[in-house]
Amino acid sequence: MDILVLVKNVPEVAEADLEIEDNQIDLEDLVMGINEWDNYAVEEAVRLAEASGGGVTVMTLGDEEAEDVLRRGLAMGAGRAMHLCDEEFEGSDPATLARAFAAAIGDESYDLILCGVQSSDLGQASTGVLLAQVLNLPFATMAIGIETGEAEITVTRELEANTSERVVLPLPALVTVQSGINQPRYVSIMGIRKVRKMTIGLFEADDLGLDEDQVGEEASQVAGRALALPEVGEGAEMLNGSLDEICGRAVEIIREKGGLS
Amino acid sequence: MDFKLSKEQRDIIRAAAEFAKGEFTERALEFDRSETFDLDLWRAACELGFVGTFISEDYGGAGLGFFEHCLITEEFWAVDPGIGQAVLSTTFGAELIQLFASEEQKHTVLPALVEGQAIIATAITEPEAGSDTSRAASTAVKDGEGWVLNGSKIFTTNGTLAQWVLVFALTDPDNDNRHARHSFFLVPAGSEGLEANKLTGKLGIRASDTAELAFNEVKLDADALVGSEGQGFNQLMAFFNRTRLHICAQAVGLTRAALEESVRHVKGRVQFGQPLAQFQATQFKIAEMATNMRAARNLYYEAAWLVDQGKVDHGLIAMAKWFSAQNAVRAADEALQMHGGYGYFDEYRVQRLYRDAKILEIYEGTKEVEKIIVAGTVLG
Amino acid sequence: MSGVLVIAEHRQGELREATLEALGAALELAPQTGRQVVTAVLADDPQALAGPLMGRTHGLRLMAHPDLTAFNPEMYLPVLEDAIAAAEPGLILMPHSSQGMDLAPALAGRLGLPLVTDCIGLTYQDGALTAQRQVYGGKVSETLVLKPASMYVCTLQGGAFEAPETSAVDTAGEEITLTELSPAHARRFVEYVAGALEDVDIAAADILVSVGRGIGGPENVPLAEELADALGATVSCSRPVADVGWLPKSRQVGTSGKTVRPKVYLALGISGAFQHQAGMKNSGTIIAVNKDPRAPIFAVAHYGLVADLFEVLPKLKDKLAG
Repeated sequence: MDILVLVKNVPEVAEADLEIEDNQIDLEDLVMGINEWDNYAVEEAVRLAEASGGGVTVMTLGDEEAEDVLRRGLAMGAGRAMHLCDEEFEGSDPATLARAFAAAIGDESYDLILCGVQSSDLGQASTGVLLAQVLNLPFATMAIGIETGEAEITVTRELEANTSERVVLPLPALVTVQSGINQPRYVSIMGIRKVRKMTIGLFEADDLGLDEDQVGEEASQVAGRALALPEVGEGAEMLNGSLDEICGRAVEIIREKGGLS
Repeated sequence: MDFKLSKEQRDIIRAAAEFAKGEFTERALEFDRSETFDLDLWRAACELGFVGTFISEDYGGAGLGFFEHCLITEEFWAVDPGIGQAVLSTTFGAELIQLFASEEQKHTVLPALVEGQAIIATAITEPEAGSDTSRAASTAVKDGEGWVLNGSKIFTTNGTLAQWVLVFALTDPDNDNRHARHSFFLVPAGSEGLEANKLTGKLGIRASDTAELAFNEVKLDADALVGSEGQGFNQLMAFFNRTRLHICAQAVGLTRAALEESVRHVKGRVQFGQPLAQFQATQFKIAEMATNMRAARNLYYEAAWLVDQGKVDHGLIAMAKWFSAQNAVRAADEALQMHGGYGYFDEYRVQRLYRDAKILEIYEGTKEVEKIIVAGTVLG
Repeated sequence: MSGVLVIAEHRQGELREATLEALGAALELAPQTGRQVVTAVLADDPQALAGPLMGRTHGLRLMAHPDLTAFNPEMYLPVLEDAIAAAEPGLILMPHSSQGMDLAPALAGRLGLPLVTDCIGLTYQDGALTAQRQVYGGKVSETLVLKPASMYVCTLQGGAFEAPETSAVDTAGEEITLTELSPAHARRFVEYVAGALEDVDIAAADILVSVGRGIGGPENVPLAEELADALGATVSCSRPVADVGWLPKSRQVGTSGKTVRPKVYLALGISGAFQHQAGMKNSGTIIAVNKDPRAPIFAVAHYGLVADLFEVLPKLKDKLAG
């Protein structure tokens, strides 16, 4: 089974103080890394390829630094990497990205394309399914399980309220992978050393046969974008004072509101 | 001049950090309290290739430098010093084997260390010979083709876990040159007359095994000798010039952990109506910790890089070892101080860091010994 | 520009609550678009699902076919294409749910329509749509102004909009029995699978002590359990904690876990991603403890403590005992 995985380099923001400049978050002090959902997707792809024979290709679209996530994919077991890297791509929306990925895929035939359900930065949860539409492939989102069959796969999709559903897709297909589907492996030193001997294919918009007006802001459906930090503690009454005082107050509230005497 | 790490080195750092965060965090307190360790963690680290990266590809290693080994060490120690030491000390001696041992010895020992099949220990310190290693009184006496080993060693890392022990012993006690009196022997742990006892009650790095060893008429084959007879002291100095680099990386890792804990704490902890981070006294402490950490790291980066380039700068290595270790002890002290009463309890990581730090100023050359070396290179 | 089309969501014979929230958004937008709200229900027996929709949508388009019993985008797409061609809506709305994530991008991609997902606010002016979203794990708000278009597809974040009153508008229905569906691909629904066996029902608890990634590891979970015991409370968690297995999946609060409404919800070390908020924000009183004063959880909490949970936990226990 030949599998393509789309991966994205994103900032880790969970414990970071974010700042906004010129409508962009300031990335300077932020650690970049593979989008969490994409990491699960790479692991799933490597497992499926190991079990069925076949290769894994990882592909990203991003700046030079984004190559890090491709090397990571290679170190985890992918055999090939493609990097779409061009300033022209800046400002692309998911639909535009999907067309760029489709152009990069070209005539190559993959049995399966995997993406993360969403990215942790913009969380649009769209690019994968949009790509499936460009490529005219069957698809399923929110996969928490993938079983392979004869020319088809059974995908377990996570639904709401602790329920899931099983759906069958004929191959080739595109699936977006939910976190928790597997336990991603650690990157090994052997994996890292293997990458040393590999080359990463670099593609600009030109190489994909995309004109200026087919990529970036011009092709995007977005006319303007503004970012803002929400007010600190909006909504909550922040308890102030010593640890002792605020904990004392918290216990009073719990007792009163929780109906404890 | 280029201060940038290569992509591969950055990947190594990230991989080591992810492994350590994923596997060490949950176990650290348990190992510290019980003075035990789970060797499965060491095996997992071997499987991922983190152990013995400096060992040549000819002997199953990654063939990377001491620099890369240091990068891994820093990441492991930044998560937990005790587990970092338990995992990475398992090759303590491989540096010497790789430099001086016979091909047969190398092929026997080194691949097993990399694969997680065996652990090596190096026994140098004796009850009466600490910093003054040339006073080591354990003896190896020629007995036909082989040798007979007698004496005792103390504070031997992994003494009860190792399959092989590198033993530093007197072979020519009457030589006028006190640096030509010793030799190293590669002793299988199962040898008759060798007894190892685990030492408990350590202040810190309690996940790491430490033992005392007794050698009572231990018979060794001729090929147990490592390198040439009488070269032990010189071998030991060459050995320390590698392993001390690792201590620097340990120290910087620990300092980083202390800094991270401090930053997290002072941003969140409110006293007198504002976060501790707003007080200038706190800010100065944080600034000093961060600056000293960078300085220590640059020292060891340079020293390790030079060794990998084939240039062993004894004085620079000693500078790096002394400075980074002292800095780690101070950083852990300040970190605990900033945590106040909470930091005094072992549920808080700073307490463990405080205890773990002190060994850095003691093992593989006390800070006093390091300063003597530095002074020697400056004053001639 | 004309009207808003809402795509109803149902599962196992029940209309999903999120549909009503979409109707709330649609009715707010209808005056701006100058036309009415039409709701499309695709089901084997759509009439049976129509009850809660009455009085909340101007038009009802009930489309019946046995293959529409369970959701399948391949069955939905051709049917919706016809419905859209007939109604020519300016806006197509649906929940940002497991169904919406499948359907919205597919519909937008197939018809070449602009798409905005996971919106928490929408305004329509001069032929262009402006959407409010949350990005970077809820730490940043984003305003997107879209280029003018005759039709947009949007998905709506759960809980961002309120369901309208049942008598908001007069509803006129239209029933269409479909004879044939022509899916482009052979995706096949097999079955629903209920979640893992539950040890406790967190939805039944009066007080929940809920832990997030900040709890650090499974060895610290007992600290939360001790506090919960002292309170007669139950321990629950956020998604990352269940993902790594520190607590069972049945303890997870949020869109993919359970929706809870305890009297008191104590959130410890939970940053408050919207998926989590959606599962707990209707709790009686929410008290959040987080080291990061910018954590999104404080936006839904009633009371906030900027503090280290490891300092707070023992302190709370002391206070309760004292």
